[in-house]
Amino acid sequence: MDNSMKNQTVTMAHGAGGRQTSELIDQIFKTHFANPDLTADDAAVLTPPAGKMAVSTDGFIVSPAFFSGGNIGKLSICGTVNDLACMGAKPLYLTCAFVIEEGFPMEKLEEIAAAMEKTAKEAGVRIVSGDTKVAGKGQVDGIFITTTGVGEIEEGVSTSGDFAKPGDAIIVTGDVGRHGCTILLAREDFGIEADVTSDCAPLWGTVKAVMDTTHDIHVIRDATRGGVGTVLYEIAGQSNVGIRLDDPAVPVAPEVKGVCGMLGLEPLYLACEGRLVIMAPKAVAPQIVEALRKCPYSQNAAIIGEVTEEQPGRVVMTTEIGTQALLPQPGGELLPRIC
Amino acid sequence: MCVGLSAKVVKIGDGVAIVDADGAKREVSSQLIEDLEPGDYVMVHAGVAIARITDEDENETDQLLEELL
Amino acid sequence: MGEEKKKSAKEIIETYDGPPVRIMEVCGTHTHENFRLGIRKLLPEQVELISGPGCPVCVTPVGFIDEAVYLALERGVTICTFGDLVRVPGTNMSLAGARAKGAKVHIVYSPADAEKYALEHPEEQVVFLSVGFETTTPAGCLSVKKAKADGLTNYSLLVANKTMPGAYAALKGSADVFLYPGHVNAITGTSLCESLVQEGVSGVVAGFTARELLTALAVALVKFKEGRPFFVNCYPRVVTKEGSQEAQTLMEELMEACDSEWRGLGVIPGSGLQLRESWQEYDARKKYLMPKIEGKPNPACRCGDVLQGKCKPSDCKVFGKGCTPLHPIGACMVSNEGACSAYFNYGGDYSEHLRIR
Repeated sequence: MDNSMKNQTVTMAHGAGGRQTSELIDQIFKTHFANPDLTADDAAVLTPPAGKMAVSTDGFIVSPAFFSGGNIGKLSICGTVNDLACMGAKPLYLTCAFVIEEGFPMEKLEEIAAAMEKTAKEAGVRIVSGDTKVAGKGQVDGIFITTTGVGEIEEGVSTSGDFAKPGDAIIVTGDVGRHGCTILLAREDFGIEADVTSDCAPLWGTVKAVMDTTHDIHVIRDATRGGVGTVLYEIAGQSNVGIRLDDPAVPVAPEVKGVCGMLGLEPLYLACEGRLVIMAPKAVAPQIVEALRKCPYSQNAAIIGEVTEEQPGRVVMTTEIGTQALLPQPGGELLPRIC
Repeated sequence: MCVGLSAKVVKIGDGVAIVDADGAKREVSSQLIEDLEPGDYVMVHAGVAIARITDEDENETDQLLEELL
Repeated sequence: MGEEKKKSAKEIIETYDGPPVRIMEVCGTHTHENFRLGIRKLLPEQVELISGPGCPVCVTPVGFIDEAVYLALERGVTICTFGDLVRVPGTNMSLAGARAKGAKVHIVYSPADAEKYALEHPEEQVVFLSVGFETTTPAGCLSVKKAKADGLTNYSLLVANKTMPGAYAALKGSADVFLYPGHVNAITGTSLCESLVQEGVSGVVAGFTARELLTALAVALVKFKEGRPFFVNCYPRVVTKEGSQEAQTLMEELMEACDSEWRGLGVIPGSGLQLRESWQEYDARKKYLMPKIEGKPNPACRCGDVLQGKCKPSDCKVFGKGCTPLHPIGACMVSNEGACSAYFNYGGDYSEHLRIR
């Protein structure tokens, strides 16, 4: 971005398709997203992968758009890349559509684009097509981004939420609830301060490391909205199995525990943006955990439970006093409580 | 009826205290407890320190059981 | 045999062989924790845990929500509230429903934050929904004093605070042993509970950690088996005989007793609190000349009976069918510590299958 654009804000003219639109695209998006597949034409022309393909799309709204450990740009790449990775797919191409609120600072937009560039590079994915719209003041909250990704599924890998089997071990790739907790704190609604950073990260490398260890994997799912608890209920339902969770084994950062304690929230329901839940036969689970612990975003990977035949569709926890109790089914808006 | 959290007092101000629970910090009212000092433990409810406490439940429960049996 | 090994609290509970006993969890957080920790599954058959009225959200009558909705929608007031109240059904809608219609509903962790919000938004009229028992009331009182010190004219309370003594009197016959609400006793002290022993009412003050809950239950069972009325403070690290003098003085300064409607228990004389006349500029009902609003609870809902321990949540016709945590009909299904929500979430209806040791 050259100096003439610094200190400027996005205006309706930037979305009108004329000279200012070109300027915005040239100065910000082309600068950061440049690659041979991103052209000025109406559509990207690509060679499809040889094997099976995975496609995923996701919309991102997050308030605030900037938070400890990332921003909405990084999130918009991670979210789609991770959805592809969960199917065992190497992310290849990405498209992105922006809806920007009139008055949004140009420098912030550039920061977001720079984060997207960096994250896409790390994930090995090319941004091949994009769109920019500007909405009137108050019509959107700052900036919304939608990304769509295409990936190539690794030969011999087939994962799905339908494939969990009794006897599978359940692995989580790190401590839970960090992203949700970070956003909660960033909104400053509750006057709480804690040193918590979002876990937001692109996880293709993590999945690749697991697949290099074994192809005997039944389920990979990224725990985003609703957290790990929600993912476990989804899979229990999809695969019609019971899930036994060992509560004391679930990794939670002390600060996240502290924040949750104050607000009466359950860390298992707080969003993650860089955590996978993996289900695989018990025999291979220790190798998977070992491989995960060597990866940068999963050093605290842990086995947190197992898939059972009992109580299909439900998640039962082994509590700190050794009893069994149902994990309440998540639902509704997360509200802090005093009672 | 009341979610309470035990937290450590790390700073004292005018009628308020900063408390720390596992690294989560928040300003709470200290007006219900006299002479609160940094290092004290308190039970916090809805942004108010409602009681000065000892931090762990172990001695308390051990002693109660001891007396019982 | 040599010296008998000392039993742990858990073992005492599991091997209880005394007469049948009904223990009332006065406090909803106890209900919640007992479910969360799976403590019910340790209990022998003759021990029954019943959930009491100690959830401020659950005992708050429908009309209170209607009043808040009225202030928000008809009077354009910004409502500040604990998260607990947002989804409680009113006669026509909950606060979440009002928010969807454009009402300003701001969720706070503390009444102090509501006061601060009013200070920072002088152009808005702010009302804090003051619910709760002796534990929570001081926080609301402190916020009013702060508002006065800050010279605010845009902050007031919609008060529905309640006190426990009247409820104990109303509940006397409902259980054999009361598990007293530790954090209420932290404020009020234990004199009342001690004097209830003279009337044959037994109870223990319980804390909230697994260890504290198990110990309190173990003490209750051992004492009950001995056969005489008893009181034991099983939460001495937090609860003293005197309680918090400061909190009691503060409440006395700002609040006075009034008759109060409890969902399920009806009107209990002198069991509610209202701001004294000298503080009435902070009383939202007076400030906004609140019309009389009579809430109409859904007739199918049996929250009232549940709160009195007269029936289990699963005995209610709409439990788990029309009434679920996602689509609650009664307040006991909304509140995290409501008996119905705890039964539903933690599988009260599945408890038999879950009697796994």
